[in-house]
Amino acid sequence: MSRAPLIAVALALALCTALPAAALGATTATMSATFTPDRLGAATTLSFNFQIAADAEAPALLTGVDFRYPVNLGIATSGLGVASCPVAALEARGPSVCPPDSRMGSGSALVEIPIGSDLVQETAQVALVAGPSQNGYVHILASVTGESPVAARVVLSTQLQPGLLQIPVPPIPSLPEAPYVAVVRMHLILGGHLTYYEPVHGHSVAYQPVGIGLPRRCPRGGFPFSAGFGFLDGGHAEARTAVACPRGR
Amino acid sequence: MRFDRWPGGLDRSAGRAAALAVIVVAVATTSSAVAARVLSVHDEGHLHFIESDGSEIIDEGAATGTVPGTLRVHFVYNGEPAVSARFTISGHGGSISGRAGGRLNNPTSPAPSFRGAFTITGGSGRYAHIHGTGELFGVFTRRGRNKYALVVQAIGKDPY
Repeated sequence: MSRAPLIAVALALALCTALPAAALGATTATMSATFTPDRLGAATTLSFNFQIAADAEAPALLTGVDFRYPVNLGIATSGLGVASCPVAALEARGPSVCPPDSRMGSGSALVEIPIGSDLVQETAQVALVAGPSQNGYVHILASVTGESPVAARVVLSTQLQPGLLQIPVPPIPSLPEAPYVAVVRMHLILGGHLTYYEPVHGHSVAYQPVGIGLPRRCPRGGFPFSAGFGFLDGGHAEARTAVACPRGR
Repeated sequence: MRFDRWPGGLDRSAGRAAALAVIVVAVATTSSAVAARVLSVHDEGHLHFIESDGSEIIDEGAATGTVPGTLRVHFVYNGEPAVSARFTISGHGGSISGRAGGRLNNPTSPAPSFRGAFTITGGSGRYAHIHGTGELFGVFTRRGRNKYALVVQAIGKDPY
């Protein structure tokens, strides 16, 4: 059998994936990631940002993010999330009801709301906590809380898979008769300055969870991260970045 | 031996690195009507954290039981409930190496448990010809001073 048709299809697919989203008249996305500290073999905090830009007057409505990270990053072994926060309580009362040992990180989100001819921006606070698990995977809940002009709380749920976090984003209502809230920028920190408690000789003793374990070797080109963004209009955007290898290693 | 006895043992342990692992490998030699000797494995010991490499935790410590010696475990947990490990027990009579896999439950617990199986992949000295499989039970302690502790119990009958 001739391989020409297969090659043609492969080339066409490669061309499609290589085209920037803007060339298709769609939405674009960028992202960045950092380790703090950035030392091979050490425990670290992972921070990442993503930003969405729509080639239209109205912002694109995000419906989901597939966040891909190096599979050998020690997130599951980090010691983060050694308790779980009930989803219903989190939705009703916010992250303050969650056990301290369930906290896994924090962040913020910038959202846009078209109100009349104006585009109003709002910054929401994000808390990352461990949720209950029924299937053996670590479940991470992102509580996104905005106060003004739209007071709302949304809880996003994802499960930690090797190298992948799939985060569905439901439509977020805003003001009556106004369109849904659009997420345009997000900053998330996994780890960081967290205080946990453990029982020692009958007392509750505070400690800091270890943090995410970095591999001892850095891949050529740095640690790769990428994300796929899905939008309500059926559009899709991809973004990728890499955390450079520490110098001297 | 019941698996749920183990976490208490970890709480009693102390020490930096806080990675304490307990592995019990009680080994008894019996005769086989067919041919070779068979090790009836049922062992226990305590390990401490040595280092980590991303999603891999390396623990080491004393194994006690019928095959006393030093046990070194490379434990991999990358978010998949299926965890895996490589291990080597080095004793006076030789060493035993193998790999193991299991399923981890309750991952947001301070000490999730796992259960699975191990396969012996090789040996040296007295155990140069050992082979076989067995059951594996364990606990992975994730927090505080005992971070990265492993509690493992291995049971099997392995010709050598």
